Amino acid sequence: MLDSLTGLFLQAQPDFMRSVGKIYVVVAVIVIVLLGLFAFVWLVDRRLTKLEDQINDHE
Amino acid sequence: MKGLWWKLLAMALLLYVFIAGLLVPLKPGIRAAEPRVIAAGTTATLTIEGYNTGFSESENVRAWLRLGTPGSGEAVDTAIRATSIRVLDAQRVEASFSVPEHLPNVRGGSRATLIVDDPGEGAFVLPSAIQLTPKPDLAGPPDLTPWLTRVRDLSETPGMTYPYRGLLGETIRNQYFHVSLWFALMLLMLAAAVYAVRYLLSGDPALDRKSEALTRVGLGFGVLGLLTGMVWANYTWGKPWSGDVKQNMTAIALLIYAAYFVLRGSLNSEQQAARVGGAYNVFAFLMLVPLLYVIPRMRDSLHPGAGGNPGFGGEDLDNTMRMVFYPGIIGMTLLGLWIAQLWWRSAALRARLQERARRL
Repeated sequence: MLDSLTGLFLQAQPDFMRSVGKIYVVVAVIVIVLLGLFAFVWLVDRRLTKLEDQINDHE
Repeated sequence: MKGLWWKLLAMALLLYVFIAGLLVPLKPGIRAAEPRVIAAGTTATLTIEGYNTGFSESENVRAWLRLGTPGSGEAVDTAIRATSIRVLDAQRVEASFSVPEHLPNVRGGSRATLIVDDPGEGAFVLPSAIQLTPKPDLAGPPDLTPWLTRVRDLSETPGMTYPYRGLLGETIRNQYFHVSLWFALMLLMLAAAVYAVRYLLSGDPALDRKSEALTRVGLGFGVLGLLTGMVWANYTWGKPWSGDVKQNMTAIALLIYAAYFVLRGSLNSEQQAARVGGAYNVFAFLMLVPLLYVIPRMRDSLHPGAGGNPGFGGEDLDNTMRMVFYPGIIGMTLLGLWIAQLWWRSAALRARLQERARRL
């Protein structure tokens, strides 16, 4: 009886990513998606800067 | 502001998906039950560990061990009900079962499914939870009357909840953040291929810019889909890359699309790049469909919808999840379209600048 309880307790002590029903895996997935979207914004920003420079060179 | 409504819609949908996708709780479920093996003819006390449960009144909680329908064609369940239940805390109960000496002969062997019912919380199931070992050298005809217990009057979980699917736990929410990304990719690549065909028919460079921008965003979504999938896989299948057929095929599909940009970059004339790129884009899309949706379904895969696994639906995607998943697909697609639009508009500006520079 005590053994099975200890077993359950050990099972209920997962690492950080597996704690709270693995919710941090969802957090990691959302963070990756956000970073990807930031990368897009970054690329568009860089492209616009180049275009602005080109326009300024002409004037 | 003309042309702004769908961007507002994208923001509203994604806001809703993030909020509903994260805040709606999971249904209560059973995480584990110990011991895993009970011998026939003995009495055992199972310690049942729930997830999201709120056990309080011992009298109200009921539990069964169910073996399934016997092969003889009788339309009865074979199950035994717990003789006593003791609530330890909100997460744990102890259930005592007296397993009869005789086990019914049912399809699926002697692995019993554990069912727990708590009024106000719902009914929770742990499939194939307990192995019942038969008693050897039994004399006399089998007495199966204790097994003729019907599992009934199960409670419903109130409110809006997502299914509890054992191993997945909370990561079932990745349906909205990982799977919708792939559906959005499919729609973006379809749009890119349509623009490529239209470019090839008309020769209008604006159409090629749209096709290129959509492919770029689609490929970006694919990389994100692959990375998020690897994180999710690491904690459900044990490692980020299992060589699963769908993983391999998507990697090939993304490489085909990556080659599109290499191909364009290797051609000097812009018109040539647009023509060859357009034709290649159509080819890439024609490869994408079988690679993502046909071949993985024909082979054994860890992904749903392949081998013996059912496709979307059933317990993996209930109607509550659909209320978030479908808006997620639309929202992600519109956001991708938005980013692609920024890209092709800046490409159009660059083309105009180059045109002007040539004339000066």
